[in-house]
Amino acid sequence: MRDRTVLHIEDNEYNRKIVRQLLSRTSFKLLEAADGEEGVAVAQRELPDLILMDVQLPKLSGLDATRQLRADPRTAKIPLVVVTSFALSGDDRRAMDAGASAYLAKPYSPRDLMALIHKFLPDN
Amino acid sequence: MRRTTVAERTPLPVVALLASPLGGLVRAVARVRASVHVKLLAAFLVIALLFIAMTAVSLLAVAETARQTTLLDEAHERVGWSRQIEQALAMQMHFTSMALLSQGAESVGLILRENNRFNDTLERLQTAAPPEERALIQSIRVAQDDAMATVADIANALRDRRLADAMTALRTRQEPIYQKIEALVSSLVAAEETRMASLRSSIAAAQGRSLRLTAGFAVVSVALALLAGFVISWSFILPVREARGFLSEVAEGRFGGKIVVPNRDEFGALAEHMNWMSQELHRLDDEQRVAAEQLRGLNDRLALASRAKSEFLANMSHELRTPLNAILGFTEIMLDGLYGEVPTELREPLVDIQTNGRHLLRLINDVLDLSKIEAGRLELGVAEYSVQEIVDVVHASLKSLAIEKGLTFTARVAPDIPPAWGDGRRLMQCLLNLTGNALKFTRRGRVDLDVRLEGDWLTYRVTDTGIGIPKDEIDKIFAEFRQVDTTITREYGGTGLGLSITKRLVEMHGGRIGVDSELGKGSTFFFTVPLHTDGELS
Repeated sequence: MRDRTVLHIEDNEYNRKIVRQLLSRTSFKLLEAADGEEGVAVAQRELPDLILMDVQLPKLSGLDATRQLRADPRTAKIPLVVVTSFALSGDDRRAMDAGASAYLAKPYSPRDLMALIHKFLPDN
Repeated sequence: MRRTTVAERTPLPVVALLASPLGGLVRAVARVRASVHVKLLAAFLVIALLFIAMTAVSLLAVAETARQTTLLDEAHERVGWSRQIEQALAMQMHFTSMALLSQGAESVGLILRENNRFNDTLERLQTAAPPEERALIQSIRVAQDDAMATVADIANALRDRRLADAMTALRTRQEPIYQKIEALVSSLVAAEETRMASLRSSIAAAQGRSLRLTAGFAVVSVALALLAGFVISWSFILPVREARGFLSEVAEGRFGGKIVVPNRDEFGALAEHMNWMSQELHRLDDEQRVAAEQLRGLNDRLALASRAKSEFLANMSHELRTPLNAILGFTEIMLDGLYGEVPTELREPLVDIQTNGRHLLRLINDVLDLSKIEAGRLELGVAEYSVQEIVDVVHASLKSLAIEKGLTFTARVAPDIPPAWGDGRRLMQCLLNLTGNALKFTRRGRVDLDVRLEGDWLTYRVTDTGIGIPKDEIDKIFAEFRQVDTTITREYGGTGLGLSITKRLVEMHGGRIGVDSELGKGSTFFFTVPLHTDGELS
């Protein structure tokens, strides 16, 4: 069975680095994109197993990118976690409305993020 | 515009009447430069004078009739006297004849008596007679004197027994004289009767004239009264109608119009004042319009600024969280040993970074929450929630803090509470704030959480044995950035925004918040919200 792929779409290098560090100890293959447009392009090309999408991105917002991916039949079924602003901002509802599978409030605990990744991509 | 509205309201007969010369008269009266009072008085005076004149004319006519009636009475009396004279004359003739027949002297006495009666009556007649009759009466007197002379002759002849002479005297002298007197008296009676007839017709004519005059005066007076009433009343009604139309225009908010009335009386003055008022209103309306326009512009700019501020805050919220995510994230993965075992001496500073990072996060959350509430942009997500679940989460997340401080920390939810409606996460935030504060401000003792249902209202209560709040500070603690003493912020931490946010959130649920506290003994913070919060309230 091939390594499962996680696509992380986030414009902040340090936050990308945290996920990179977290996944370096696992068997997941990590793809990265720094803006919404690139994220959609990579997702449509690579068809990853899980997408982590920051809500605020340059060029194309996380919510718009989510809607585009949900509209594309190839990427419509891929689990997608939107990293929102804090839970009470209303971003969570907007994320779910846009088609997210789950949301995670920023700042998130790396432990919680790993738990979520394992939830969508359980070990066999 | 106003003209047509007034015309529409005026009945057609009135319009026709006002277009006639009568309308001109109405306007002329309106134009008279005199007060309403004077105009009314003048009208009443004219009519009153007419009635007085009418009365005077009537009285004069009555007096004239009375005078003529007196004249008539006098003439009538004179006719009576003339008849008496005739009768006395006849009696004289009779007694003269009797004297001849009886040849006695007693008849002569009777003749003398009748002669006296004749003379008396003639005397009265002469006194009362009009001058033109005096000559006639004088001739009667002369004739009577002749007759008496003849009677004396007859009496002498009788005494001397000259019967033939007496007879001759009677037949040739006495009878013609008597006939002459009779003719004179008859002409006197005829003259009086003619005078009476003329007097009667003159009285009738005077009465007819008086009747016509009185009727004429009455008709003219009534007509004048009606005319004056109509003209004067319409000279008042016209400006009032104009004013009504004008004022309804003003009431409809159309200012600056002008009322035009011909009046130069109080109504004219009133119209002038109304025009002044209209101009003032127009000016004020313009000013107000300009001010409103400016305010609208200002409001638009403010709304724009407010929207920009909200967007800025939303962006800032995420922008602030992104580096904080990195700080807290790296700290956590370091503490979790992702980079290898953490040296003992580095563990404490790493935990300090984490603690301060979390505090910074709370500050950011509170500031953003409050600014959203202030901007009215915070919406409640009303849904069904479990009170037990909220209390459990709050208890679980703060239990470690209580244990760390050595405090007893309990939570109790009344068993009869059904599922509630409201924004569960916001209510949880409220309870977290109150409970967090209680734990923060309590050094020894306990913090107890308690929820009860009273009627349709849920009361969340947090009781502590902390430092308490001075009485004079209790009212201020729900204000922003307010802790009783700023040193407390440094000693106990906290943002100073929690209570203020909690109060707003509770109020958005239609509830209220309160506190009972005693300095040094502890505090009980509580908030009461409806079991079923209506979504509309938010």
